[in-house]
Amino acid sequence: MDSKVDPQRQLVRLRGRSYVAFVFSPVMPIVNWLEGIDATLARSPGFFVGRPIVLDLSAVKLSGHGIAHLVSSLENRNIRVLGIEGVDSSLLDASLPPLLTGGRHCMIEQSEPKKAEVKKETEPKAPPATSLLLESPVRSGQCIVFTEGDVTVLGSVSSGAEIVAGGSIHVYGTLRGRAMAGINGNQAARIYCQRIEAELLAIDGYYQTAEDIDQTLRSRPAQAWLDGETMKITPLI
Amino acid sequence: MAKVLVVTSGKGGVGKTTSTAALGAALAQNGDKVVVVDFDVGLRNLDLIMGAERRVVFDLINVAQGVAKLSQALIRDKRLENLWLLPASQTRDKDALTDEGVRQIIDELRSKFDWILCDSPAGIERGATLAMRYADEAIIVTNPEVSSVRDSDRIIGMLDSKTVKAEQGEEVKKHVLITRYDPARAARGEMLSIDDILEILATPLLGIIPESQDILRASNVGAPVTLNDAACASARAYNDAARRLNGETIAMTVPVERKRFFERLLGRRAA
Amino acid sequence: MSINILRMFSRRTSSAPVARERLQILLAHERGQRGQADLLGILREEILAVVSRHVALDPEKVIVRMDRGKSVSTLEVDIEVPNDFDKRIAVAS
Repeated sequence: MDSKVDPQRQLVRLRGRSYVAFVFSPVMPIVNWLEGIDATLARSPGFFVGRPIVLDLSAVKLSGHGIAHLVSSLENRNIRVLGIEGVDSSLLDASLPPLLTGGRHCMIEQSEPKKAEVKKETEPKAPPATSLLLESPVRSGQCIVFTEGDVTVLGSVSSGAEIVAGGSIHVYGTLRGRAMAGINGNQAARIYCQRIEAELLAIDGYYQTAEDIDQTLRSRPAQAWLDGETMKITPLI
Repeated sequence: MAKVLVVTSGKGGVGKTTSTAALGAALAQNGDKVVVVDFDVGLRNLDLIMGAERRVVFDLINVAQGVAKLSQALIRDKRLENLWLLPASQTRDKDALTDEGVRQIIDELRSKFDWILCDSPAGIERGATLAMRYADEAIIVTNPEVSSVRDSDRIIGMLDSKTVKAEQGEEVKKHVLITRYDPARAARGEMLSIDDILEILATPLLGIIPESQDILRASNVGAPVTLNDAACASARAYNDAARRLNGETIAMTVPVERKRFFERLLGRRAA
Repeated sequence: MSINILRMFSRRTSSAPVARERLQILLAHERGQRGQADLLGILREEILAVVSRHVALDPEKVIVRMDRGKSVSTLEVDIEVPNDFDKRIAVAS
């Protein structure tokens, strides 16, 4: 993560990236399942070393202690768990790997036959030509996420609402909430609105909060765009 | 056709219970059969505002749990025979109220009444979501004040997602009711303007109720303001709002400052 | 323009004393209920239990009304009983 501190603008970047990871889906009884892992390791000893492993616990019912015990059992076998999915977040304390959501199936090219199931997807870099149209205002507390392309809102976006788009964001109304465009690395994404009173604007991770937005621009039609690593907000028209 | 109407707001203290009582009484005076239902489990208030606090035997939760029949819990208003109250429980906590229990009660109420007004508690937790769940229409009570407006907006978003109607792809008809409107502060520019509120909430206006001593007096004596003092400005505004609910088109009266007696006497105009 | 002198000098009947009295009565009852069983509620249950020992009670035909007053409270229990009830065998509930 890059970070520069510039007195005029904040440039801490928050980016999303996806990686392919192996997923272990243990089944009960855990002891037998671990024996299966041991058998795999016996056949290919170093196979899991250095690979990101995710634990899918949706098929088993473990307590917080049970999960911690399982993670350390795997660590004893040189298997490091990157994240955990399929459990309630309350069971994971700070010493355990974080909770993951939103994983998708994908194929993995590999040289050897595997015992572990594989599950995550590489995301295409080219922005797809799809867009989402919302015909009513976006209300406080609502969060619209559309990573595949542009989002257009026929109405205002209330304070306390959030729009997250892979492409550009177009608001035919007043933008009072948060708008985050180009989240997949699309630096050409822009944010357009008829009246700018936004709480936060972000394009490909570079963001500005309400305080940073020039007072003279407020309550006028405006667009936000990236010029290199600088976010520019200029009047529309 | 019975209509289920939720009176909600998000923010507390804006006038939901007062408005439920006032509108319920106004609709009943028009001849419709009306029941007002208190969904604030554990902190009941509607019975107090209606003046029925001494007659509560069974409550919403008793009915939901099957301990009592609906007819045993309903309390008839002593002044208007078309107006009934289904009180909330004062002693049980919110988890005692279930979705299924509420669904059955609302279904039974639909067969007996023309209007079912659900007085929602503040917040966005179970009491509030259950109050709105089976609503056909909603009145979002809003004060001309920033946090009230934002909370109302939040609630409007929930009406479009957490109700049975929304889940079935239909729309809950929404109305904004502005309460505690103070004309003097509005004239001085110290209050959010009606236009600002409507622009932000993007929802039709049902009425503007002025801040008034009459409302306090009515709740002191335990009567809906539309019954206690039908001539006062607040009551007239509530009556207009009730008529709009019935589909009448009535010009919106923006409350004006009431000139004090001596100023009127001496011909002086208020600032 | 007519001036109503009487209105000018008289005060409206104050509603605060009414509110105070209502609250006193109400809270006296509600405080009594916290941590203790409600006497009227107990009476209601026991009366219904006694009646139902002799008559099959249809819950729809039982109306209970209460009026909690300052010094005196009233409990009304209205039960519709069929005229030949004493000839039928009672069903204990």
